[in-house]
Amino acid sequence: MNRTGTVPFRGCKVRRILLTLVIILVLSACERQEQSGAEDNAVVINAWFHSGREGERRVIINQVEQFNSIQHAIHVKLTILPEGSYNSQVQAAALAGDLPDILEFDGPYLYNYIWQGHLIPLDKYVSRNLRADLLPTILEQGTFEGHLYSIGTFDSGLGLYASRSDLEKAMLRIPNGPGDAWSVEEFDKVLASLAKNDPDGAVLDLKVNYRGEWYTYAFSPIIQSAGADLIDRKDYQASSGFLNSPSAIYAFQQVQSWFKHGYVEANVDDSAFILGRTALSWVGHWEYPRYVESLGDNLVVLPLPDFGYGARSGQGSWNWGITKNSRHPEQAYQFLEFILQPDQVLAMASANGAVPARRSVVIRSPLYKAGGPLELFSNQLLSGFTVPRPRTPGYPVISSVFQKAFDNIRNGSDVKDSLDKAALEIDQDIKDNNGYLMID
Amino acid sequence: MNTGRQHERLAAWFMVIPALAGLAVFVALPLFVALGFSFTNMRMGSPLPLVFKGLEQYGRILADEAFQRAFINNTIFALVVVPLQTSLALFLALLLNQKLKGSAFFRTLFFMPVVFPMSLVSVVWALIYIPDPAGLMNTFLYGLSFGSWQARDFLHDPLLALPAIILLSIWQGCGFQMVIILAGLQAVPEQLYEAASIDGAGRGQQFLNVTLPQIRNTLIFVALITTVLSFRLFDQVQILTRGGPGNATTTVMYEMVQTVFERQQIGRASAITVVFFLIVLLITLAQNRLVKQKREIK
Amino acid sequence: MIFIVPIIFMIIGSLKPDDLVLAEMGTVRAFIPDSISLENYGDVYRRVAFGRFMLNSLFITGTICALGLCVNSIAAYSFARLSWAGRNIMLLAVLAMMVLPIESIAVPLFFLVTKWGWRDTYLVQIIPFIANAFSIYLFYTYFISMPRELEDASRIDGAGPFRIFLQIIVPNAKPVFASVAILTFLTQWGAYIWPLMVTSGEDVRPLPLAIASFYTLPPLKWGDIMAFGVMMIAPILLVFLIFQQWFVRGVASAGVKG
Repeated sequence: MNRTGTVPFRGCKVRRILLTLVIILVLSACERQEQSGAEDNAVVINAWFHSGREGERRVIINQVEQFNSIQHAIHVKLTILPEGSYNSQVQAAALAGDLPDILEFDGPYLYNYIWQGHLIPLDKYVSRNLRADLLPTILEQGTFEGHLYSIGTFDSGLGLYASRSDLEKAMLRIPNGPGDAWSVEEFDKVLASLAKNDPDGAVLDLKVNYRGEWYTYAFSPIIQSAGADLIDRKDYQASSGFLNSPSAIYAFQQVQSWFKHGYVEANVDDSAFILGRTALSWVGHWEYPRYVESLGDNLVVLPLPDFGYGARSGQGSWNWGITKNSRHPEQAYQFLEFILQPDQVLAMASANGAVPARRSVVIRSPLYKAGGPLELFSNQLLSGFTVPRPRTPGYPVISSVFQKAFDNIRNGSDVKDSLDKAALEIDQDIKDNNGYLMID
Repeated sequence: MNTGRQHERLAAWFMVIPALAGLAVFVALPLFVALGFSFTNMRMGSPLPLVFKGLEQYGRILADEAFQRAFINNTIFALVVVPLQTSLALFLALLLNQKLKGSAFFRTLFFMPVVFPMSLVSVVWALIYIPDPAGLMNTFLYGLSFGSWQARDFLHDPLLALPAIILLSIWQGCGFQMVIILAGLQAVPEQLYEAASIDGAGRGQQFLNVTLPQIRNTLIFVALITTVLSFRLFDQVQILTRGGPGNATTTVMYEMVQTVFERQQIGRASAITVVFFLIVLLITLAQNRLVKQKREIK
Repeated sequence: MIFIVPIIFMIIGSLKPDDLVLAEMGTVRAFIPDSISLENYGDVYRRVAFGRFMLNSLFITGTICALGLCVNSIAAYSFARLSWAGRNIMLLAVLAMMVLPIESIAVPLFFLVTKWGWRDTYLVQIIPFIANAFSIYLFYTYFISMPRELEDASRIDGAGPFRIFLQIIVPNAKPVFASVAILTFLTQWGAYIWPLMVTSGEDVRPLPLAIASFYTLPPLKWGDIMAFGVMMIAPILLVFLIFQQWFVRGVASAGVKG
């Protein structure tokens, strides 16, 4: 009796554990559904946003709350995804058929998503006024095969941040606009003279601690400034002869020499510039708030060096598109329209330091208006000093191949060899995809 | 009686079905799916039609420099880690088996890294390896070499990156092996040692003639697990070096995940899956033969 | 010494202001701080949903362990003691799958679960890992070596296989249950590659992914990262210290049998 008596208890215990597990599972499932908190008859719009910086996250969460409270017909549900694997998440969600209604993504991925058939054109929604007020670079980035597919609430700026006092101490010329950039030879001398005054000789922060898309965004302007490109922009069918052209190889040999001379800081704590370990920092608009806070008036923003064909800079940033999945594209667009309102655009731009996407807001922006501290960035965008990343569905592969090539160059591999291989790999991918021609 | 047997057969089936179903759906099915995909140009999200490519994906990965390097790196990793980590673990286990004071304390100490997930280990070691001359590893080597060590950027140095990964992997994995070997040592009957010492065998001879043969099985088990783990190498690489610099630390697993994640090339990644499966299978078969030989000797 | 240094380094680092972690790294101050504070721990709580990740990890790992023990032990018993058609072939198949790491089939499995709409759930992180060939093998070798006489008495009493399993086998096979539980726990607790592939939001992500993305989340603060590490490992370390004997004996028994 005693022996058998213990058995039901054991069974009970196992059963109790199982039961508890089931309950937890059910509860957690319920919790996820309840979270939306939408009113019964409201249309729920799912939106995806990249994790970005803390300031950006606060603004978008705030914007969603505002939007949900000023009207009750639409309820936006925001999901914030980590930036590192954002594209993979989109691809996986697309495969599973659960893309959100409205999706934020990094600009140059647009053409791939269109080619895959995930996005709808926005032409019929966008008002004439809005279209006229958007920066030309925003329209350029969002347009493919004659249709507008995506809109960003901000554009980006890329430049060299410098400590004025360090430059003055080394008696260096301070360029005063994108047309006045240091030539690459001059830049070499700048690095050498700054290094003399630096305890460890590392004077340039290239943000090599960043990963992924940063490399393409930040360092492909070098190729364009040298008169070459990632790919033939006529029909986007060939990279060989462009990415590995002699001028591109020469330009990257220059860049490699910066690493070889020890000018480049590893920046493991992401604070090399603000702690004064480097005099120069090659980075985008997003660092401006932090940099100005620690350097104050001593901060100057300069164009990237000129590799022979004029200084070039990056453009394009995260932007929004509406997916084919959405059963309520109009409502999704209403949310997009809301965050494109001048005040909202200004709020986001003030939080992340980006260039506001509307001309009317640029004028109002204390950072970007004429005479503002970041005038350089708006200037670059408005006067043609920036180059969009290749507008082709093959972009994700181009970027990933280029990132690897740059990494190899950074670590001392032969430049010609690295670029040759990269160009071949891109060409092979284009061939594999029948030239990435649109399929109707 | 007959119904009893039938009843038992039925029960037997009920008992295995959950496990077998799980294995069939989540291990066998994916394997077949991978085999199928590996003959096609399958891509995630591509609007292009699916095309049968025969063995082209296999030809491509085998010709791919990065994949070759990945395979070599895995092999180097296994060839270094398996003997090094096993002998270190054996050495520590022998020390602890002396039943000296504080051996429980040291056992805890050596075993502690095992409960660290590899992702955490990687992040902590990222800080240890920072290139600054004041970095922990640089300072340590500086002291060790009486000041002749020049600060290096371990994780971005083509020669040092893989050793750096190997070192932290051994740090994390050694304690686990040690405990298993220790248990093997403690299972060796005391009489064998007594007999050996009566025969006049010294400590070294005792180790060679008694200890090693007795724990051979344990050592093989440990080596097998570590070898298979060597081919799974991924977390450290993804977090610390992303396969770089210039493929110096890429691995088969890393190439596979990159292929499917960065490039959405399911067909190619499936071919890597199949090749990876074959590699692991071969290792296991080879190791099995070792064990069999031992049984014949016995 | 080498074993303990990184751990102490992490703990001390977590108690220091962020910039000092780097600045004092090469000095003795890396191990003997002049001032300590818990500020970094507060930062971690403020910056990420630490509690959520911890719960996710505990829930996923706990469920896999619990269900895995049931499913695999009972299957192993059937293999070891009952006779049925196809048993040997099935056993062979299980043994073949034993050494196959889950990573090797991650790509096709990822494709399948995505098609099934399982992405970004607890389910996808639990279900595929319940049935485990290696666990079956460990149970199998243990059960096979148990004396049959144990069961004979109840067999004569007319007890069915389920009752024999629950009454006789389970109580007498505690070490193997412990070792399988520990091995499963250690593997699943550190799971990284699979959750990386199948989860997107914070809702269901486990700790190992959280630390990896915390490490890349700007602003980069080493003090916070080390604090995250300590918070992540502390409960496990505590459990490990308390149940040390069990732990070690459990892990060890797996090896000796193998």
